[in-house]
Amino acid sequence: MSQEKDPHVRIQELKKDKVKFVLENVDLALANSIRRVMMADIPTIAIDMVEIESNTTVLPDEFIAHRLGQIPLVSTNCDEAIRYTRDCTCMDGCKYCTVILNLNVACNEEGKTMMITSNHLEVALWGEEVDQSMITAGDELSKRPDNFGQPVGKDEIGVEPILITKIRKGMELKVRCVAKKGIAKEHAKWSPCSAVGFEYDPHNRLRHTTYWFESDERAEWPLSDNAQLEEPVKEDEPFDYNAKPTRFYMDVETDGSLGPQEVVLKGLQELQTKLANLVLGLKQEPEAEMATGADQSLPQTNGHPTAGWGAPAAGAGGWGQTSPNGTGAGAGWGSPVAAGAWGGSPGTSNWSAPPAAPTGWGTSPAPAGSGWSPRPPGSAGWGGSSPQQAGWNV
Amino acid sequence: MNAPNRYELYVLEEGERPVEIIEDTKIPNAATIKVVKQDHTLGNLLRAQLLAMPQVLFAGYKVPHPLQPHFLIKVQTDGTITPTALLEQACTKIIGTIASLEATFKKEFQMSNIGAAVAEDAYGTGATTSGFPGDRDYLDF
Ligand SMILES: [Zn+2]
Repeated sequence: MSQEKDPHVRIQELKKDKVKFVLENVDLALANSIRRVMMADIPTIAIDMVEIESNTTVLPDEFIAHRLGQIPLVSTNCDEAIRYTRDCTCMDGCKYCTVILNLNVACNEEGKTMMITSNHLEVALWGEEVDQSMITAGDELSKRPDNFGQPVGKDEIGVEPILITKIRKGMELKVRCVAKKGIAKEHAKWSPCSAVGFEYDPHNRLRHTTYWFESDERAEWPLSDNAQLEEPVKEDEPFDYNAKPTRFYMDVETDGSLGPQEVVLKGLQELQTKLANLVLGLKQEPEAEMATGADQSLPQTNGHPTAGWGAPAAGAGGWGQTSPNGTGAGAGWGSPVAAGAWGGSPGTSNWSAPPAAPTGWGTSPAPAGSGWSPRPPGSAGWGGSSPQQAGWNV
Repeated sequence: MNAPNRYELYVLEEGERPVEIIEDTKIPNAATIKVVKQDHTLGNLLRAQLLAMPQVLFAGYKVPHPLQPHFLIKVQTDGTITPTALLEQACTKIIGTIASLEATFKKEFQMSNIGAAVAEDAYGTGATTSGFPGDRDYLDF
């Protein structure tokens, strides 16, 4: 990676729901990982279950549930302000892990079409009706802004609400929505980003792409705005096949559930968390092998160390540039284990059983694994291509 | 109906180890490291960092199957350091890079927010500030 120079950032435009910036002196892989993490790994809240009390509208229940699921809800400070339901000790949702939104609209006016919109969704206060004995209290509620869980832009002037359905006289819609915390890897409705622009090398100096054209390449492929910020390729310029991209133009646009600043900063933190958990795992590996069956000694490295970086996470020993401390060396290194495992696909029959069928309509009916975001460049098969790979089949 | 929970794609199961080191028996100083519940985001990033390190003879990664939530990263070093230790170094190095990037981002955002506040009424932080009383920000909690 281009570590000769420190990474540099220049923000070109910062608005309520988008930020445009130029990232310099970073590696393509890092820039791409930042893009991926912002799109798919930042938690927000979204409606995940809809209990339909009455629906006499023209749209079927599933349709309504699906539409409700995709309404962006204010998710500021989602990291600390709400728990994942799977981590909560409650039985069936509580104020620490769910937000309830009610919608109750009926049309009684003759000859008029009424719009049911996101403005009709009201965040409900949690009463004491839930069995409190099971629930571990936390300080999540104090970390929420007043409008946490509300549809984005609710009752704000100048913001068009989101249309759910239209009704005429005699029709009504009465539903109770359960919003939960999640990430976009589970369903895209949890993505804080509506779009992430990513461009580098606008003049195609590095020839990472080839343009298809009818008759005139230049005319058929107009340059992007970013091209003005870089020198065009001269007619007689020799091709530098060693050159690497160093400037990245990114344009992060959010759906309003999180601000662009929070998305970028949380994205960077998330990436660090991923790496930190990997280091923790690598450090544990040799010890874990020696202590047979000492699985329980593994600290859970899955969650987010809420204290952010710099603080030593769960028994990891301080961070910093201290690392090659010989973990992995010694004990059994080079000893023959699991030869031939390469290429074979390890068995994966350990999918766990699903929980009891949920009541109400889920709002995410899409099939799993539907080819998430674009692959990083050159990721078919082995993602590596080193100049030193000396005869390796890559 | 019997679909597995979606979060099993990115959450470690109870007691599941995040990494598994498979040493290579035929190649010296080589190992394949299986990183569980992670994808291209980490795989490609580590691969790129490893290739930039002088001790590395080979580094590559793959996601063997899109429905299996793990990737494999294969590293061969020149023998001055073990692959595992080198991977750990790579991680720390990237963390350092991101930390410095984060600091520059924070500075840049601060400057942009000041500029934007004058121009268009506290725009910039978006929903971030609207709900909080006074000048408090979620970062103050
Ligand atoms: Zn709960």
